[in-house]
Amino acid sequence: MAESVNGKVLVIPCSGVGKVHGLMAREATYRVIDELEPGASTTLCLALLVKGDEEAVEAVRTRPCITIDGCPKLCSYKNVQLAGGKIAESVRVVDAFKDHKGAKPGTATELAEEGWTITDEIGQQIAARVRELCGGEEQ
Amino acid sequence: MAERFAVLPCNGLDKAVGPLAREIALAVVEACEGELVCPVLFNNLPARYAKALELPLIVIDGCGTRCASKLAAEHALKVVRKLQVAEALKEMGESAGETLTPDPERLALCQRLAERLLSAPEEGTTRDREAAFTEPVEYATVTRDKFIFRIPRQGYLFNENHCWVRVAGGRARVGLSDYMQQELGDLTYCELPQVGAEIGQFDAVGSVESVKAVSDIISPVSGPVVAVNPAVAETPEIINQDPYVRGWVAELELRDLESDRALLLDGEAYLTLVRQKAADYRP
Repeated sequence: MAESVNGKVLVIPCSGVGKVHGLMAREATYRVIDELEPGASTTLCLALLVKGDEEAVEAVRTRPCITIDGCPKLCSYKNVQLAGGKIAESVRVVDAFKDHKGAKPGTATELAEEGWTITDEIGQQIAARVRELCGGEEQ
Repeated sequence: MAERFAVLPCNGLDKAVGPLAREIALAVVEACEGELVCPVLFNNLPARYAKALELPLIVIDGCGTRCASKLAAEHALKVVRKLQVAEALKEMGESAGETLTPDPERLALCQRLAERLLSAPEEGTTRDREAAFTEPVEYATVTRDKFIFRIPRQGYLFNENHCWVRVAGGRARVGLSDYMQQELGDLTYCELPQVGAEIGQFDAVGSVESVKAVSDIISPVSGPVVAVNPAVAETPEIINQDPYVRGWVAELELRDLESDRALLLDGEAYLTLVRQKAADYRP
């Protein structure tokens, strides 16, 4: 894991390799944990969880988790759930496109301007939820 | 255009080397117009990638946890090239940096590593492997009365069952140690495994019989048997004469050497074990 999860909300994106929606899930996660709520959130590598890493399993079972999935296959949500994780919120990148019909987000390797805009919105949405989960306190 | 590959990177998320693994994977796929395999989706829905995995496979791990390699091993995928980013950076005298978002310098490094992967020779071509398996061996020795036990100083790993493994290009040859063959005495029979048999670490990969005893050959590594040495079945005394090179018993395709290695002894540690055994040796 990136750092100690003590007291922090876990923001867990899908692996998201090779698809633009996956890249958006990852970038939204970084936006939250690095910029918007660095003191209240951290992330966890989904592959570790999938491979049964004990520390990762313990983390998702004891800390509130926000899963972010790029596509409707919901890899993050399903694997966190399978590991017995406490899912406080499940976010789907594709849902954010409902307010941005026809948007061109970019490619699997690089987001375009519209992609960054939607990613920022998702990041803000998750950061707000992180604050709620931390009792509404500003971090 | 370069040969096409399927590329299985690790998830690459929460350590600085992780995003580099992902960047390298994307660069390789872009350069060779290959297929990217999402590790978590592959774990959940392997059939989704059945077509992509008809291509030769490159595995890229960020950190020492080696999630992608483990995944490939669990699904019995044949890996033709491998990269562990943390190790590669160390070899290059570079670091992964501190952040999860690679800077331009790190992105350039990723590009170099991607190019290196694409131009690397396929792991273990037959000729390279044969040369590696038959390189001369430098031995340490343990002497007890008239008996001299030889232990290769380098290039071999051992289990405590006195069987060795020598690795080259994604494959491994296994056999009996010099101590074991001397303890057994003149060998009269060697049973080989079937090619294609799936062998787990510490499973029997054959057996030998001598005038004194019958003994299983306990495999130090796991994987399918891809070749056997008919010479030792025909003339078992080859194992007595040259246990570490000509006396190999079976060749396995490695599934997860990193995990297997954790339970093996290097030459130095095995030398210590043989010294202890030799002190009590009664031929």
